[in-house]
Amino acid sequence: MSTVAAKNTVSPLERYKMAFESRWQGNDELTALRHAALEQFLSAGFPTQRDEAWKYTNLRRLESRSFTPAETSALDAHQPEWLATAGTRIVLVNGHCLPALSSQVAQPPGVTVLTFKQWIEHEPAAVAAYLKEQDQLTGNALEQLNLAFFEDGVVVNLADNTILDEPVYIVHQSTSSAAQRMSHPRIVVRAGRNARATIIEHYLGANDAEYFTNAVTRFDIAAGGAVKHFRVQQESPRAFHIGHVQTKLAKDARFSIHDIALGASLGRSGITALLEGTGAHAALFGLFAPMGNQHLDAHTRLDHIAAHTTSEEDYRGIAGGRARGVFNGKVIVRPDAQKIDARQSSRNLLLSPTAEIDTKPELEIYANDVKCSHGATTGQLDATALFYLRSRGLSESDARAALIRAFAESILATIDLEPVHAALEKQIDERFKLVNEAKA
Amino acid sequence: MLSIKNLHALAGEKQVLNGLDLEVGAGEVHAIMGPNGSGKSTLAQVLAGREGYTVTGGTVTYKGKNLLELSPEDRAREGVFLAFQYPVEIPGVNNVYLLKAGLNAIRKHRGESEMDAFEFLTLIREKMKLMQMDESFLNRGVNEGFSGGEKKRNEILQMSVLEPSLALLDETDSGLDIDALRVVAAGVNSLRSPERAIVLVTHYQRLLDYIEPDHVHVLSGGRIIKSGDKSLALELEKRGYDWVKQEAAA
Repeated sequence: MSTVAAKNTVSPLERYKMAFESRWQGNDELTALRHAALEQFLSAGFPTQRDEAWKYTNLRRLESRSFTPAETSALDAHQPEWLATAGTRIVLVNGHCLPALSSQVAQPPGVTVLTFKQWIEHEPAAVAAYLKEQDQLTGNALEQLNLAFFEDGVVVNLADNTILDEPVYIVHQSTSSAAQRMSHPRIVVRAGRNARATIIEHYLGANDAEYFTNAVTRFDIAAGGAVKHFRVQQESPRAFHIGHVQTKLAKDARFSIHDIALGASLGRSGITALLEGTGAHAALFGLFAPMGNQHLDAHTRLDHIAAHTTSEEDYRGIAGGRARGVFNGKVIVRPDAQKIDARQSSRNLLLSPTAEIDTKPELEIYANDVKCSHGATTGQLDATALFYLRSRGLSESDARAALIRAFAESILATIDLEPVHAALEKQIDERFKLVNEAKA
Repeated sequence: MLSIKNLHALAGEKQVLNGLDLEVGAGEVHAIMGPNGSGKSTLAQVLAGREGYTVTGGTVTYKGKNLLELSPEDRAREGVFLAFQYPVEIPGVNNVYLLKAGLNAIRKHRGESEMDAFEFLTLIREKMKLMQMDESFLNRGVNEGFSGGEKKRNEILQMSVLEPSLALLDETDSGLDIDALRVVAAGVNSLRSPERAIVLVTHYQRLLDYIEPDHVHVLSGGRIIKSGDKSLALELEKRGYDWVKQEAAA
């Protein structure tokens, strides 16, 4: 027992400090930034449930683990399927880009897709300046933790008026050797005026690995630009996943996200859209489906800073077993941000008496000429509909699966990228054992 | 085919059926009539196996099996079909899925192979034509946004695709205009056959102008208090139910 006691004398935060010190040395600007971020993280510590934004999600289990920075590794023999997308695919294994698994297609003029490591190598000063401006003072403790530890990621730059026809598909694969490791990938997408792109992020993990992914994704969309983002979280059932997505929208910019959470033991996605230019529009769609003992949390924040900005939000949660789901959707309308239209809907389905979903819409409105609506419901499968389907010969499990799929369908139907749509339909069906596929 | 003996049942907590007896043979059409609250719908729900209805006594034998022991899906697979009084709207589950999944579950139960997509569509198209339904219905959610008449037609469409041995129609005529009633009746009549039994539960005689019953029963207080042929229905239409009740009480 003495070894256990010895281990416990090192506090969780000190372990991060030690991991940092053994990994990052030097006097360059980036290391200085990392150091400052680490200090911020150490002084704030892991969020606790006393923090309103973490009221329903307890990170003590994550905090108690000693994760160390992950190295890249060979892929496991059996790994989850990647999406069959056309276009550029960049694969990060345990947080490190692996060119051998990636496939870059020729980009149209004005579009560059590079790894974060490449960007640091080529333009260290620019990276430091960007991070200083964007991240040094913003973000919560876990975003600071990412800034302290991030090693790699993807950077997509789109010049004005460039259009990416094919999506950029970013695979975040964690392998079984990632057990007790952490990775802090960082994605930056900068879309110029009237530029258009679709970015897919897919988080996957080996079945039995316990690891920690703490990802930061930033979108900066200039006037008239449009970015579609698909974020599919299918981490290992033992993994911890924290994802931070932040988007800035200039005048008439458009952003949509599909925030799909199926994996991880404890998962949280924090999606923030800053509507800074008039005419900007953000659409947030989400589906989280914790089963067993999973805990999945979706936190969104729509910040209407400029007048004449609009947002729509539709999140659905399905919880079974003893699982717990959380939806917290905050809509902020700043003073003088008039003529705002913001609609929010949160619908939740409980499949067992021991499952729980906490849903909390929050409106903070400081302007008077605004249209904001929100609705939240939580219910169970409709007994009358179940009986109706069974009375036509469907087994109880098929009837339940059909109704669960129907509930998810309203989100899936908004996915207009076929490989993502097809893969998620399959995932949902397998998850709920829908055996009778019938699409005549 | 169906033999109900001394059936007692609760709807929720309420005793609704009080010793009901009914014998239905293959090839027969029976009409069960009665005033509101007499137990007509409870009988239909009990036979289909709906939760919330509790049998407290008596037996129901269907094709020699104890029907009450079977799950709702097994009853459907054995050939029992209930056309609902209030068909359920299920957005997100489309009609074609329901028809195909139901038909294939029943075929599998009978030891038959699943229908391929082509065979299935040919069958559905033919049946939809009979019910004067547009093919666009197929990809809509089950009964989603359907009018009252469309819902009832959809029930009969399902019935004609699933080809039950015992068809129970619960107030199928309610809420139908005369044109819709004709279409629904034609659909039901097309299913009449020597191997199939049909039980119509109805409040009004009107339906029986279009679907001619072999036997008419009056249900009151949870029991069948009078049985006759189709002329009984006409007499009920003229004289109401009170005289039958008085006769039974005497």
